[in-house]
Amino acid sequence: MRYVVRAVLVIACLVLGPWPALAADPFPSRPITLIVPWQAGGIPDLQLRLLAGIAGKHLGQPIVIENKPGGVGTLGPALVAANAKPDGYTITHITTTVLRTPFLTKTTYDPKKDFTYIGGLASFLFGVVVRSDSPIKTWQDFLAYAKDNPGKLTYTTFGVNSTLHLTMERISTAAGVKLKHIPSRGNAENNAAVLGGHVMASADGSAWGPLVDSGDFRLLVTWGEQRSKRWPNVPTLKETGLDIVESTPFGLGGPAGMDPQVVEKIYDAFRKALHDPEHEKFLAKFDMVRFERGPAEYTKWSLEEIERQRELVNRFAEKK
Amino acid sequence: MSSVDGILLGLKVALLPTNLLYCFVGVFLGTLIGVLPGIGPATAIALLLPVTFGLPPATGIILLAGIYYGSMYGGSTTSILVNIPGEAASIVTCIDGHQMARAGRAGPALGIAAIGSFIAGTFGVIILCFLSAPLARAALSFGAREYFGLMVLGLVLVSCLSSGSLAKAALTTALGIVLGLMGVDTMSGASRFTFDRPEFIDGIDVITLVIGLFGVSEVLMNIEANLKRSVLEGRIQSVLPTREDWRRSRAPIARGSVLGFCLGLLPGGGGVIASFAAYAIEKRLSRTPEQFGKGAVEGVAGPESANNAAASAAFIPLLTLGIPPNVILGILLGALMIQGVAPGPLLMVNNADLFWGVVISMYIGNVMLLVLNLPLIGMWVQLLRIPYGIMFPMILVFCVVGVYGTTSSTFHLYLAAGFGVLGYALRKTGHDLTPLVLGFVLGPLMEVHLRRGLIASDGDWSYFVTSPIAAICLAAAAILLWATLVPAAKRWRQRLPVED
Repeated sequence: MRYVVRAVLVIACLVLGPWPALAADPFPSRPITLIVPWQAGGIPDLQLRLLAGIAGKHLGQPIVIENKPGGVGTLGPALVAANAKPDGYTITHITTTVLRTPFLTKTTYDPKKDFTYIGGLASFLFGVVVRSDSPIKTWQDFLAYAKDNPGKLTYTTFGVNSTLHLTMERISTAAGVKLKHIPSRGNAENNAAVLGGHVMASADGSAWGPLVDSGDFRLLVTWGEQRSKRWPNVPTLKETGLDIVESTPFGLGGPAGMDPQVVEKIYDAFRKALHDPEHEKFLAKFDMVRFERGPAEYTKWSLEEIERQRELVNRFAEKK
Repeated sequence: MSSVDGILLGLKVALLPTNLLYCFVGVFLGTLIGVLPGIGPATAIALLLPVTFGLPPATGIILLAGIYYGSMYGGSTTSILVNIPGEAASIVTCIDGHQMARAGRAGPALGIAAIGSFIAGTFGVIILCFLSAPLARAALSFGAREYFGLMVLGLVLVSCLSSGSLAKAALTTALGIVLGLMGVDTMSGASRFTFDRPEFIDGIDVITLVIGLFGVSEVLMNIEANLKRSVLEGRIQSVLPTREDWRRSRAPIARGSVLGFCLGLLPGGGGVIASFAAYAIEKRLSRTPEQFGKGAVEGVAGPESANNAAASAAFIPLLTLGIPPNVILGILLGALMIQGVAPGPLLMVNNADLFWGVVISMYIGNVMLLVLNLPLIGMWVQLLRIPYGIMFPMILVFCVVGVYGTTSSTFHLYLAAGFGVLGYALRKTGHDLTPLVLGFVLGPLMEVHLRRGLIASDGDWSYFVTSPIAAICLAAAAILLWATLVPAAKRWRQRLPVED
């Protein structure tokens, strides 16, 4: 009897022994750090805090936000690529600038090799506005004016070689017109410049929304795949005959070489967060659209996007 | 809705017990943040933002706004007591405020700063009630030319007003401009002075610069002074301003309020330029300009009123057009949007209770600040009795917390230490640090507007004198430069034969 008990115990230990060790350490067994490469308090920061809060509950471990602002959203990912262990406990927000900057300036990372792309989150609504007393009533008027007055139609975006600037360049090449770009340093300056009559148009994210609703601005065109929910009367670029869609989707990434199961687990939690009613409300407030792409799909998208950014930069960017 | 109806509605909202409580919490926190060197209102508001999500919109904004204008009150305290500005807008207060403290008159300096701030803040809120919409539209007429003229005038003013030699002031201004230009240029996309370090892509953070130059270098200067505190010990005279202080401060407070309000309306650098310009004007108008830099009460009253009036005025473009004129109000804009309030021209119509509630709470908050600050003066003055051996390590801790809190980067701590050494070296060689910071803040703005203007005008330089405001600013700068350079050149020429 004794032997039987011992044998059972030994077998039990052999069988169960290794398991408790594994069971004690299923991912995630400690808090996860999400690097937010933007200032605390900004809109990307607020959105990621919201998502991380919900995703953390699904994962059973809190997701701690660490702000590493700098380099238009590239400093944080660069640090993750260089220093973080690919164990899933350090992940970062990844935007288009991360994929584009290597073609504009020297970076410490290679977006093709140095990241594990975890999944997509959301994308923005972009569009072009003019002041409501402008003679330009429609997007066709805008292009016609530019054609009749080459280099006279001024527009503003927040900075040279931003997605908005490069896309406007792409548009003017496709439409065969010449525009004059007067860069600013943010949404506030863009709106002030158009409102004050210092530039004729602004290509920006939906920061112009309240001014469109108040009748100060006229929204000529939006850049999404579909018309926006909030301004359903405004056509998309595609509808006006230009095959251009731009919404700078962003997502999550980590250092290269993460375990696919861990990646899947993280994204599943964020996928649930993306559909959470709280986040739905956030998306509606800022005119964003969900960009739900699983690890495989997002990786494929990112690699293609890197190539697209390379081409955009080569064709349209202003070089130093 | 008329302004009177609005004010009544605002009173109803602002006097709700919860709103009064949050207004008090806001101004109290703001005062503390202003007093602590390094922890600026931007950091504090960003950290407290999530707390406001559970509050009604008006209450949340009342709290955050209170922190902002409260910090403008507190900012002068460290400038006066320990010669370290809480933020860029209170740098000029160091010049005469700290000299007053050294002469044992810290109490009157703090008193005048608090009362000047109160009057200016109240003035700002009253104008905000009655004239905000037309003023916001008027401020928008400032384009690239007008900004360029204003920035040039600002830079010339600070170089000419510096206490030391003109050449040294021009040198430090230029150094400030160079430091300000670091990072990726938004106009061409080129990286300037980044040394391939990703930390420099966005340029240097103003907090890191100010804390290093003023905070760390002040500690270094005092270590060298052998921890002796001959000047301040036991010589704290009265705590409240004298009748003479009052008489001398009345006009500077009035001028500072108006000037600060006008400049505060303009997006970018408004509060900083306002405080410098107020100082410049007081020095020019004074019958005893030689007292400036040695503890003239006008040099505290003018700039402190100006930066508070500017803080009130800054709410106008935000609340009436949805255009935040600085980083802090940019965070506030985010807070409004999270609350589901669309900041823009319709805010006054669709969210009248919020608009008027916040405006009236600012008035109440200003009263609270005065009540809070006047009795505290005695306590702040007592801080000067803390032995330097304890005080300066504490200051260094706050400096480190401030830099790390803003940038979350150890690299910036080293950078601040480096600026500390630079500040120390400059001060030892008789350079004034004020022009450096102004060059740093205004230089890049001047450049951006110059280039924007040149793009708009297809490279035509005469564009910059075709607007009356721009032409007046540039002419004033030219006259000031001439008035400073000609006597200097004369002195130099007179000296030549002697040296021969």
